Amino acid sequence: MASSEDIALMAHLMRRAGFGASRVELEERAARGYEATVEELLEPEKLGIADNDEDLLFRHAPGAKLPGGVPYNGQANYMWQMVNTERPLQEKVALFWHHLFATGNSKVDNCDQLLEQINMFREHGMGNYRDLLMEVSKNPAMIFWLDNNENHKDQPNENWGRELLELFSMGVGNYTEQDVFECSRSFTGWTIAAKIPRLPLGRFPWEFEYKPEDHDDGEKTFLGHKGNFNGDDIIDIIVRQPATSRFIARHLYNFFVADEEQVPAWQHNPPKDPAAINIIGDVFMTSGYDMRQTLRVLFNSDFFKAESARFAKVKSPAEVVVGTMNLVGDFKGAPKPGLMALGMEPTNMGQSLLDPPSVEGWHTGAEWIDSGSLVRRINFVADRVGDLSLPGVRDIVDRVRAQGNISPEELVDTCIDLIGPTQVSKMTQEELLTQARSGGDVSWDSQQAADSSTQRVLEMLQLIAASREYQFG
Amino acid sequence: MLTQTVYGRTYTYSHCIGRGTNGGEGFRYPLDLALAADNVVYVLNGPSEFMASSRITKCTLGSELGDEEFIMDFGTPGDGDGEFSGVTSIALDRDENVYVSDEVLNRITIFDKEGNFVSKWGVQGSGDGEIDRPWGLTFDADENLWVVDSGNNRVQTFTKDGKFLGKWGTGGSGEGQFNMAWGIALDRDADVYVADWRNSRVQKFSPDGKYLMSFGAPGSGPGEVRRPSGVAVDDEGDVYVADWGENMVHAYGPDGEHLTTFQGDAQQLPKWGLASIVANPDMGRARKRVRSLEREWRFDQPAAVKIDAQRRIVICEVQRSRLQVYVKEKDYVDPQFNL
Repeated sequence: MASSEDIALMAHLMRRAGFGASRVELEERAARGYEATVEELLEPEKLGIADNDEDLLFRHAPGAKLPGGVPYNGQANYMWQMVNTERPLQEKVALFWHHLFATGNSKVDNCDQLLEQINMFREHGMGNYRDLLMEVSKNPAMIFWLDNNENHKDQPNENWGRELLELFSMGVGNYTEQDVFECSRSFTGWTIAAKIPRLPLGRFPWEFEYKPEDHDDGEKTFLGHKGNFNGDDIIDIIVRQPATSRFIARHLYNFFVADEEQVPAWQHNPPKDPAAINIIGDVFMTSGYDMRQTLRVLFNSDFFKAESARFAKVKSPAEVVVGTMNLVGDFKGAPKPGLMALGMEPTNMGQSLLDPPSVEGWHTGAEWIDSGSLVRRINFVADRVGDLSLPGVRDIVDRVRAQGNISPEELVDTCIDLIGPTQVSKMTQEELLTQARSGGDVSWDSQQAADSSTQRVLEMLQLIAASREYQFG
Repeated sequence: MLTQTVYGRTYTYSHCIGRGTNGGEGFRYPLDLALAADNVVYVLNGPSEFMASSRITKCTLGSELGDEEFIMDFGTPGDGDGEFSGVTSIALDRDENVYVSDEVLNRITIFDKEGNFVSKWGVQGSGDGEIDRPWGLTFDADENLWVVDSGNNRVQTFTKDGKFLGKWGTGGSGEGQFNMAWGIALDRDADVYVADWRNSRVQKFSPDGKYLMSFGAPGSGPGEVRRPSGVAVDDEGDVYVADWGENMVHAYGPDGEHLTTFQGDAQQLPKWGLASIVANPDMGRARKRVRSLEREWRFDQPAAVKIDAQRRIVICEVQRSRLQVYVKEKDYVDPQFNL
């Protein structure tokens, strides 16, 4: 049987390399071992085809297939897939790249293409970063988002070229304005073919198109290299830059290990843990930009497993919503009414999936929290962990009950354990104890006592969900 | 090609109707259709949580492009009488009363042909006569209603007013077992065909539920299917299967041999669709810059296929808000080949 430390470490891994897990899953994974679980997560294709695939979604929610510009249909699609994935790391990595290669429906007005981009992240996100950059460079939603369809041989548009260097690979301070211009010239002719318009039969897909007649084939000088570069040559040069490995390493650390400052500050301030950034950056470079190997080293590292990394991140709204579904076991399997509202919950908490606020993506960490979003987060989780009809909640209550009659102190400790395990401060623990003691011992000796104790468990879970500490993952 | 002759049968593409709308002249996520007398068709529009798309559109099918006429819409989203939360299938009795299955409310709702609510029945569960996510519907010659009880992986029969008559089928992938079955059809001998969605096959049974044979096999090769949804049988015993997952409709002979596959041939816009283009000139201009419109001709999630007495094969496409109509020609004479 797994120890409480094994469970706690597994919960940490599953919060970061996934969206949390039920107690049953944590116990099963802990029994198989930490390293074995990391390997399972890194090799999702070995799991075969899941029952809960897109077909199940589209059968019951036909509007989720081609949502067009309507965000709630697209977000319902994305939410259902995050909640139902049997490949948690693949899905979490896709969200990581959605943060990094932030592309928004506010301009693209096409959730079909944004979902296609997320699918591309699922397919290539744990592969080679160089290949991923090539896919992103040809991705129709990205091309439209950053105006590369307006980047012409005789009239370069620098939007894509600039963001490729500034936000997608190297970071500010590692290139010149001339490099931006030469990069942009190299991507002229990388565009999208005209698609069949949305009326009268619905959306049709965009496709990448290379127009050689619109490509500037002249000589360029980029980061000290000279040649008649095309876009793929530029990517080859970019991935070899030490700045790229540092930049991606810092993003990985910020997303998977601990909250960092926001990206614009990175050019001024050193990382929180320079040694960890070096380890991640080194394996990224020496593995030939292999994301799987990089993530393998990250999740097996001491800095990831350390106590200091646990609960060192404020949960993103997507993590709050999907993690809660995994805890309580709701919206699993065939879609049901309420899915679209669920897909919109992250928006209500400040993270409109498929529609980040800008190409810089979402500001993370403490910036997720303001008075409005905090209330929304607390109410969302409290409503669900207080709902005994949900199987995950029922399981928690049954586990508490299996301990027999317990003291208020044991009630608090057990609930803190079963809702995460999570960690709370001494002050919060005292507050919880005060509440628990007001009801005396927890008894299951009669139906009336059991009903009352069940209610007390639910209320305790709600109180923990409302704590400051529960906002950290 | 719009006309194809295969194994002694000739099929010709006729026309299409529809466009994407949440009411009036058009459809949204059409999941099923029912063909009535006098060229009338009832189209069941699927659910969308925040979009009032779910309704029944009654219109004429027309005999050629542009010949269709809108008659009325009825039914609205909700859970009250005459309202829908998760419509799945539609069938007509001899009086043209309209029966609609609802997988969320677990009930059958009945309207008259003017769209007035008549009654409803259904109890969720797995006991005799209880239903869980009801899907395909069809009437037999005795006017009993066959219901694909998808969540219970079985077929049940009821009287028109919901009295339980019989059941067969279990969950699994063996002969006579189902995994989330969808559509259902009866042939003139009263044999039963069920689109066994997640098992990617259509199974044929005797009227009392004895397994007879399967059509299709999982895959994307000729005659293979992936997640079939709709099935229909013509008077000669040829079987048509809507291959929802691969965006095709397959025709099989009575013994299961694959005859041909339709991929959709709507090379011209339907009348109502054209009206949208006329009203939005930019859309018309945008169409002209597209290299090829072929993708538009093709099926996107064909969910149901139905056949009427005029040998018309009508297919509804969920994602294209459209019906495409083919005709199985009678006494077809092929034109001279050197024309």
